[in-house]
Amino acid sequence: MPITLVHPGNETKPEAAPPPRRLDTLQGKRIGLLDISKPGGSFFLDRLEQLLRTQYGVADVVRAKKPTYTKNAPAEVIEQLRSLDAVIEGLAD
Amino acid sequence: MTQTQTPARHDLQSLATYRPGSKALLVFFETDCPTCQLALPYLNALANGQVQVIGISQDDEAATDTFIRQMGIHYPVELDRGLKLSRAFDPQSVPTFYLLDESGRIAQTLVGFDKAALNEIAQALGHTPIAPASDGAPAWKPGCGSRHLEPAANGHSADLSAPLLRRLGDRASRITFSDLEDVVEQCFRLFGDALPVVPPNEERVSAMLKGTDLAPQTVIARVPPVYGEATVEKIAANAVMAGCRPEMMRVLIPLVRAVCDEKFNAHGVQATTHFAAPLVLINGPVRNELGFWSKQNLFSNVVRANSSVGRALQLILLNIGGARPDGIDMSAQGNAGKFSQCIAENEEENPWEPFHVDRGFQRDESAVTLFAAEPPRGVSEHKAQRGDVLLRAVCSALATVWSYRVCMNNEAMVLLCPEHARTLHRDGFGKNDVRRFLFENTGIPLRYYSEPDGGEGTQFTAHYREITILGEPCYQKFRSPESIFIAVAGGTAGKFSSVLGSWAVGPAGSQLVTYPIP
Repeated sequence: MPITLVHPGNETKPEAAPPPRRLDTLQGKRIGLLDISKPGGSFFLDRLEQLLRTQYGVADVVRAKKPTYTKNAPAEVIEQLRSLDAVIEGLAD
Repeated sequence: MTQTQTPARHDLQSLATYRPGSKALLVFFETDCPTCQLALPYLNALANGQVQVIGISQDDEAATDTFIRQMGIHYPVELDRGLKLSRAFDPQSVPTFYLLDESGRIAQTLVGFDKAALNEIAQALGHTPIAPASDGAPAWKPGCGSRHLEPAANGHSADLSAPLLRRLGDRASRITFSDLEDVVEQCFRLFGDALPVVPPNEERVSAMLKGTDLAPQTVIARVPPVYGEATVEKIAANAVMAGCRPEMMRVLIPLVRAVCDEKFNAHGVQATTHFAAPLVLINGPVRNELGFWSKQNLFSNVVRANSSVGRALQLILLNIGGARPDGIDMSAQGNAGKFSQCIAENEEENPWEPFHVDRGFQRDESAVTLFAAEPPRGVSEHKAQRGDVLLRAVCSALATVWSYRVCMNNEAMVLLCPEHARTLHRDGFGKNDVRRFLFENTGIPLRYYSEPDGGEGTQFTAHYREITILGEPCYQKFRSPESIFIAVAGGTAGKFSSVLGSWAVGPAGSQLVTYPIP
């Protein structure tokens, strides 16, 4: 006899968003650097900012920081980054 | 909450359902604002009485109808066409609540979601409190900008493509297997952990649902990190899989609320690279009523109540919350507690007040506590004749919480075995004395920091506090005595206690939560 189970998992369908088009060049672009607040993240991002500015000719680098790495970025941090051409998120220590 | 007295507003005439001459509570909201979605259903309780409650939607009819249906709003809701009322009242954010007196003047204004303030308003209206402290929702949550203040705001409406924080979810779907398939094997493949589960067939889930009065579609919480809806039915299905008896729904419902409490921060606990796993601690009469075990082997596979409730929580976190140990859960080495980690306090052998009494409950109430814990460190002390000597053994374990040179950053749960608790009590230690002793005598010798080796914890010493322990200069391990939680647990033979370190703590980490069990 067939057996019917009650689905025990999450059935919420996430909204699929298409990935944004990749940038052809960094020249003249506005790039965000998101620091998630892990110790040491700034060393990496400082160097990245320097490289972006001196070697890739970006128009601007916007630095944003999550208040804590343990939680989602709050809306105001996302807002800071929304209008930029691309964002690089620095993960882990 | 602000108290203002403003003139009656003729704008109220545009509200078809407003009746002058009696108090009224108006709430401005947006359908896609998570705080509005959280707050508005609380007012149903008020609207059932004599108070007029009117919701004022800043969105269009279609979005508002969806909101009313999915949030289960029972009171009148009117559309603020052209945002005229919003411009007149000028709330800066939503939800904003206006309590009007009999003459239509604003007597009180409440901005955002605030349980205590909502209960004050209910009281001002002669009503009992409407926002319980332990329903899983935060005590306070700020709202979103009011629609009339948005650029180009002229009736712009919500985009409801984002899912509502609805109170009633969908029924779980059904999965049918032919009798040629091995259902236990299919469960291995589709859901659960790496151990066999009891297949959650309709008969078993239906029996489990008899353990609660709540409707199967009731959404108890959204389980991080993917925020799947934990409906009563899905909790029941996972409870079946874990081997729970139906009466355990009494514990599982508040447990799911507690684990999804923003203070506990399951989002971080479930995704961290650290060892942390939820430790479930049961207190009060429910221990004996449902057979929870607090004596020897309490961390082991000793009774069905502990093992099945701990496992049900983990299955809920896996299946509904989505933190799979081969995916989003990135713990470097994991934790055996992720199979099941539910213990009860041995209140009978506790010479002091039980743990939940420390947390503000009555001794005859039952409660469940969650602590994001490292694996237990054992503390053996069989030789000490005095309480202070045995506590120094506990201090040495406490000093290694998280990492030996990291101070001021963590908490710990100390589980004293009955023999140790008895020695301490005999020597005149109250529980607060124990806490204070551990606080004052747990430190890391300064000589461990003398080499500038750049190891973990050495970079924060500017924030550390210097103390002297037995003549040795040390940095104090903990921020305050309240960083140390104490419970009595385990069997009456064997002088073995344990210390469980925390994950990141405080508002930027995980906070210990205690919820009542009805």
